[in-house]
Amino acid sequence: MKTILRSDELNCPSCVNNIESSLNSMEGIENATVKFNSGKIEVEHDPELVTEDDLLAAVQESGYSATVSPF
Amino acid sequence: MISFNQFISLFKNPTSRKKILLAVSGMSIIVGWFFIGVMGDTFAGDMLMILATVVAGYEIIQKAWLGLKSRQTNIELLVSIAAIGGLSIGIYWESAAVTFLFLLGGWLETRTLQNTRRTLKSLVELVPKTATVVRGEKTETIPARQVEKDMLVQVKPGGRIPVDGEVESGESSVDESAITGESIPADKKQGSQVYAGTINQNGRIFVRAGRAGADTTLAKIIERVEEAQDAKAPTQRFIERFARWYTPGIAGLSVISFIFTQNIELAITLLVIGCPGALVISTPISVITGIGRAAKEGILIKGGEYLENAGKISALAFDKTGTLTQGKPRVTEVFSLQPEKVVAGHEEAEPERTTEHEVLYWAGIAESGSEHPLAKAILEEARNRQEIPDADTFESHTGFGVSAGYMENKVLVGNRSFMEEWNIRVDKEALQQVEALSEKGRTVVLVAKNGELIGGLGLFDIIRADAPSAIKSLREIGIEELIILTGDTDSTAQSIAGELGIKNVYSRLLPEDKHKVIEQLQKVGHRVAMVGDGINDALALTKADIGIAMGAAGTDVAIESADIALMADDLTKIPEALRLSKLTLRNIHQNVVIALITVGALLTGVFAGEVHMAGGMLIHELSVLLVILNGMRLKWMA
Repeated sequence: MKTILRSDELNCPSCVNNIESSLNSMEGIENATVKFNSGKIEVEHDPELVTEDDLLAAVQESGYSATVSPF
Repeated sequence: MISFNQFISLFKNPTSRKKILLAVSGMSIIVGWFFIGVMGDTFAGDMLMILATVVAGYEIIQKAWLGLKSRQTNIELLVSIAAIGGLSIGIYWESAAVTFLFLLGGWLETRTLQNTRRTLKSLVELVPKTATVVRGEKTETIPARQVEKDMLVQVKPGGRIPVDGEVESGESSVDESAITGESIPADKKQGSQVYAGTINQNGRIFVRAGRAGADTTLAKIIERVEEAQDAKAPTQRFIERFARWYTPGIAGLSVISFIFTQNIELAITLLVIGCPGALVISTPISVITGIGRAAKEGILIKGGEYLENAGKISALAFDKTGTLTQGKPRVTEVFSLQPEKVVAGHEEAEPERTTEHEVLYWAGIAESGSEHPLAKAILEEARNRQEIPDADTFESHTGFGVSAGYMENKVLVGNRSFMEEWNIRVDKEALQQVEALSEKGRTVVLVAKNGELIGGLGLFDIIRADAPSAIKSLREIGIEELIILTGDTDSTAQSIAGELGIKNVYSRLLPEDKHKVIEQLQKVGHRVAMVGDGINDALALTKADIGIAMGAAGTDVAIESADIALMADDLTKIPEALRLSKLTLRNIHQNVVIALITVGALLTGVFAGEVHMAGGMLIHELSVLLVILNGMRLKWMA
């Protein structure tokens, strides 16, 4: 399943690395990419193992707030 | 007062946590200065500075640690080392200032960037959350994305249209600026296409739903725009490569200078200015703002790369048909010819001379069965003037003309050789008329009835109303080399070119020849843009440095294939797109220069002993903000 999160708070292109690697290290996440310019976080994950709330918590853990977005 | 639990939840939220950390650390610094400066209590002051460093440094160290865990050295790591180093050698105030300024700068940058990203957010918010669906006699309000295909949606005057669809009944004018950037409302009646996010102005309409939610044109445009914003421009890629060695380079420089000078303060100051902040943000900020603004005006630029290319365009080639012209021929002239002798009519008495009216009447009847574009134009013009009955018999002679029968009359419509083939005499008067019109670029068809030539028609694909002003604007922004490419005859092409004041015309081109002209121009050093409708110019559009497709709203193919897609069918958006690209390109250059000058000045300043840790961080953060603000100017720049 692909979930799209959006964060308004990305303020330097290098900070996307933190979010990406903490998401990618989670079990049940196949691939996570963070687009700095649009502030879009795309996550391919197994909804059985990782819920939307887990994703939001993981992003928050890296120091940024995000919301789930339909597109 | 807020309870402890509330405080914890505020602290868990990254946004409010940042504010708390900033406030506490800022206050500590101010009170600390009060102790040192006014009370003369250096110890208490120093303690407060350490507190400020720890508070502001909390997040920085956390991020540095996260980075280290995933084996990445980031800017936060450099700042952390500098702050800890500062504390360990007793420069407490400097450490407090560095962490505080870094946090404050980051917060301000986030705020301004949010503002920039909001351009698109406002587009997303244009689509209403709910839709009023008609079910039999009743209406029901449901979430807009749950509207299914073929549901009937009611839109009141002043309301926003929630889905893409077709007007089933009702009439109104609709403000489509969200999609096309066109400020003049479009008239909608039964059968018209409407788009989600546009505003219904004055009449109630019922819309048969086509696509909803993430499938609407607006959602697709937004998705495309975001992809475009995220696509890295060449300058950005270059800078990212530069940044990749800049940061470790500065860290190395810091170690080397410590080895040679044993000056730990110099070493940690170097770490502070080792962040390439302004540099890495210089291109993205301009690209986000430039593409966002263009999108608001109905111009979809597919990425930073195209934005940079479009800013360098020196020549522009137009596909004539449908781009500079309306794309379909119209009857522009009708002439009648005096028959040699008055033919006795079978129905009514023939007048002395066939009128132009009648020429059109008979031509219309003959063409009533044909699907040819010229036939359609003739029939349309004839029907505008009078009732036209259908022909009784009809035969099409492809490429030459048609023959038809109606009420015992035999009508022929076609070119000169067609007439001669049917043994119709084309006299001198007729020839003169034909030649005069051909010279003006008209396509001429002759009309014969019962073996006699009665007249003819001139047809022409006329220039679009917005073409002259678009050409003028293109010249004003410095694009001198304008070219027309067309498969049409020389005289037609020359006639259009003459009206528009364009000198370079390539006519009689086969579709596969168009890209050769583009290549020739590139060979002599031009950066070429090509404007077409995106379907039959595909090769030329891809060969060109920038391919521009027009009227792309609703046609996914054009949005996919072009580098720049104009949502509206509006030629004047072309100079606007190129102008915005030029502005953006210049903005990127300004930002890179600001960033490089800052880096250079800071390095020089540090080695000259003029710049210390706090000052270095201040200048660094100011340069980042300056670059962001400069990028944001693109939003308003005329």
